[in-house]
Amino acid sequence: MLDKLVIKNVLNAALTTNADFAEVFIEDKFQTDAMMLSNKVERVNNSRDFGIGVRVAKGYQSVYGYTNSSKEEDLVKLATDLAQSFPGESLEINFELEEMKVGNAHKFRLLPSEVSIEDKIVVMKRANKAARDYSEEISQVNVRFADYVQKVWIANTEGTYVHDIRVRTRLSIASVAANEITKQTGFYGPGGLWGFEFYSDVINVEDVAKEASRIAVTMLHAEECPSGKMPVVIDNGFGGVIFHEAVGHSLEATSVAKGASVFSGKKGEKIASELVTAIDDGTIQNGWGSATYDDEGNLQTRRVLIKDGILNSFMIDKLNAKRMNDACTNSGRRESYRYAPTSRMSNTYIANGSSTFDEIIAATEYGLYAKKMGGGSVNPATGDFNFSVSEGYIIRNGKIAEPVRGAALVGTGREALLKVDMVGNNLKTEQGMCGSSSGSIPADVGQPTIRVSEITVGGRKGAN
Amino acid sequence: MNFDRLFEKAKAAGIEDIQVYFSGGTQFDVNVLNQLLEKYTIADTARLSVKGIFNKKMGTVTTEIINEDVFDFIIESIISSANNIDSEDEVFIYAGDKEYPEVKGLFNEDLETVSVKKKLDDTFELERLTMNADERMKMVQAYYFEGKTNVLIQNSKGLKLEKTVNSAAFYVNAIATDGEDQRTAFELSFNNDYSDFNIQELAKRAAKNATALLGAKPCDSGEYEIVLTSDASTALLQPFSGMFSAESVQKGLSLIADKVDQKIANSNITLVDDPFKAKSPRSGSFDDEGVATTYKELIKDGVLTGFLHNLKTAKIANTKSTGNATNSGVAASNLYIQPGSLSYDDAVASMKKGLVITDLAGTHAGANSVSGDFSLQAAGFLVEDGKILSPVALITVAGNYLDLLQNVTGVCNDLEFNHAFIGSPSLRIKSLVVSGK
Repeated sequence: MLDKLVIKNVLNAALTTNADFAEVFIEDKFQTDAMMLSNKVERVNNSRDFGIGVRVAKGYQSVYGYTNSSKEEDLVKLATDLAQSFPGESLEINFELEEMKVGNAHKFRLLPSEVSIEDKIVVMKRANKAARDYSEEISQVNVRFADYVQKVWIANTEGTYVHDIRVRTRLSIASVAANEITKQTGFYGPGGLWGFEFYSDVINVEDVAKEASRIAVTMLHAEECPSGKMPVVIDNGFGGVIFHEAVGHSLEATSVAKGASVFSGKKGEKIASELVTAIDDGTIQNGWGSATYDDEGNLQTRRVLIKDGILNSFMIDKLNAKRMNDACTNSGRRESYRYAPTSRMSNTYIANGSSTFDEIIAATEYGLYAKKMGGGSVNPATGDFNFSVSEGYIIRNGKIAEPVRGAALVGTGREALLKVDMVGNNLKTEQGMCGSSSGSIPADVGQPTIRVSEITVGGRKGAN
Repeated sequence: MNFDRLFEKAKAAGIEDIQVYFSGGTQFDVNVLNQLLEKYTIADTARLSVKGIFNKKMGTVTTEIINEDVFDFIIESIISSANNIDSEDEVFIYAGDKEYPEVKGLFNEDLETVSVKKKLDDTFELERLTMNADERMKMVQAYYFEGKTNVLIQNSKGLKLEKTVNSAAFYVNAIATDGEDQRTAFELSFNNDYSDFNIQELAKRAAKNATALLGAKPCDSGEYEIVLTSDASTALLQPFSGMFSAESVQKGLSLIADKVDQKIANSNITLVDDPFKAKSPRSGSFDDEGVATTYKELIKDGVLTGFLHNLKTAKIANTKSTGNATNSGVAASNLYIQPGSLSYDDAVASMKKGLVITDLAGTHAGANSVSGDFSLQAAGFLVEDGKILSPVALITVAGNYLDLLQNVTGVCNDLEFNHAFIGSPSLRIKSLVVSGK
């Protein structure tokens, strides 16, 4: 860790020209990754990442540099080099670094760096066994274990000076089911802002592993999905990826501030069905995308993005707040010191409605029931989204019928939001990794079961 | 950095053989929006990956703190890693090949002598030219990226190999609007010879591709004859490239595991892995294990000839490493479908009723590398009687990659590589299932 005086000297070096803001982000991260395949532990790797990022800004324009060096002279040189981007007189900004100490908002019991690798391997082997025991059709199981302790120190020329520790762990199981004709996969990967107690207090390892195998075996016996426009019931949990991709990204200041988002300038307007209330909450207790502070040193918070269909708030970082002339929502996040922070989601979900799951299925004459979603992507400029359905069923006469595989959902976020015509009461959040300009970060997606009255479904079977 | 002390300590701790892989370098990237500098990043970083054989198992560790103080952490981590691995595959630290091929054009000194000001000016110019190329342009972001990497592999068997590569790219993200519809294009140009960059051409291409899809609507669902442009075909090849790795084969994750010497593609398809491609940062004379690299035709006239190997997979398959080891497994260097003689225009003109697919989105999720199935969001143009009729968007195309390779009816002469150095020319495909309106 750097001495406070060194940090101050680096920040002052960044202000020797016409810049009006500078920030130092220090990261020290210890991570363990392990992988099991074909019943054998194939890989165990410890890694120690350490680096420092320096950001210098004037207005909303910023420059960024990073290095693994913690030597004062290297850091002062980096800051001085960056400062040359803002030629002119120094603004003589005075600041004091007074550490804010609020204590960690999330409690951990067993720090990953203090748990033996042997104990972590036991968890993987349990998962592997349960996934394989599920069915004789399971031909391969890949188990991945990862946990880390990320320590960060963030200081800036507005006097922010904070220290945060993020402890995260995740267990991912990918099962392959095979017969003579095809191979199909199933995936489940729960995680959280937890230490090793996650595996005893929060999840049941065997249940998680069985779930991955259940999806693979179900899909092995599924037919190809028909294509065409139809009502789609998207189940709770990871189904929230539709909102994350199709709407969430377009509500990040990164795209809104530049006018690149379809939602730019639409605050206060109706952008969704009145059944939709959506929230981004970085304070959920031990949530995968939670932390005490964001990566700009501001306290994480809860944002109501859409209230009863009306656009209420964007997700905004420090610099974009200046550009948009709007309040910062403490949404600055980054993968590591290698990235300048920008506005990002934390744990984003559609809030509960009033319908039950059974009511939603019974009300659907014909359509697709997307029980498990895979990943997807969105073009923030057009709002066009796509995502894959990893476990799907046809709904016929208000009942769940045969399983189907290979379905993709495409549409635009705007249209899909307006076409939500039923919202369930069974909210659940699940874990994902979200990629954007400030890197790949942990983020929860979530929702209750919802129905969209019409989405284009792509599948190999062709139109009905 | 001198690693002799680390090697000595490792030996004393019972580590049979040890190898360091040091990768360090500098990076510079800028982004211009509305004639303002949106992003400017400079970096100087290094990373050390160390592996060692302890009780016949390979332990690994990675660190960004690189000094003598972490030697104990490195050794402890290698031993605890090795102690927990139960894979029985034989592991190797390589003493080296007799000869390494000479690879030219990996490092271009001139790239560093071009001033930062010139590079910034050109990025501003790229944004301005793209913005002014068409009145329907709404917003343009222009980027310049430059990186230099030094790699050193050194081990206790006396191997010591070094290489320095540099690369640069201009790219542009363009948004066009006609008042109602909004469309985007992403174009990039890679090179380490600065004088080869053509900003004017890149700007023109970005503006053309961003405006071309304005007003695009879904077409009718059905089966269509397809021309996949070079961009689209490359995007589709990328998620399926893993099936050519012997590692996937041996783990039961490759669709083509038992298909060597069999026809897995139309005879017009030849798939190449070329580690000697000039001006590519993925090229080099040795792989991450220190094995000499080789040029391979993985598919030759439609027939699968073999797989990509590292030392471990080669031993299991009783063959030689192809020089495709990475620190995490096996990967291609510069993988591409060899171009044919058909021109893109002729391929389009030959379709009576079909679709040109210019964009495929979501390949990281909608393409299943284990089954070969894909169902992807697509955009492009409807073609009738050889003429482009109208732009099409928000459709999906679905199929199976192996079926697609069998059904290639024309290979064009317009090979291009993407940022991951995977390449393909445009391909004409007999048919794919399209879901639209």
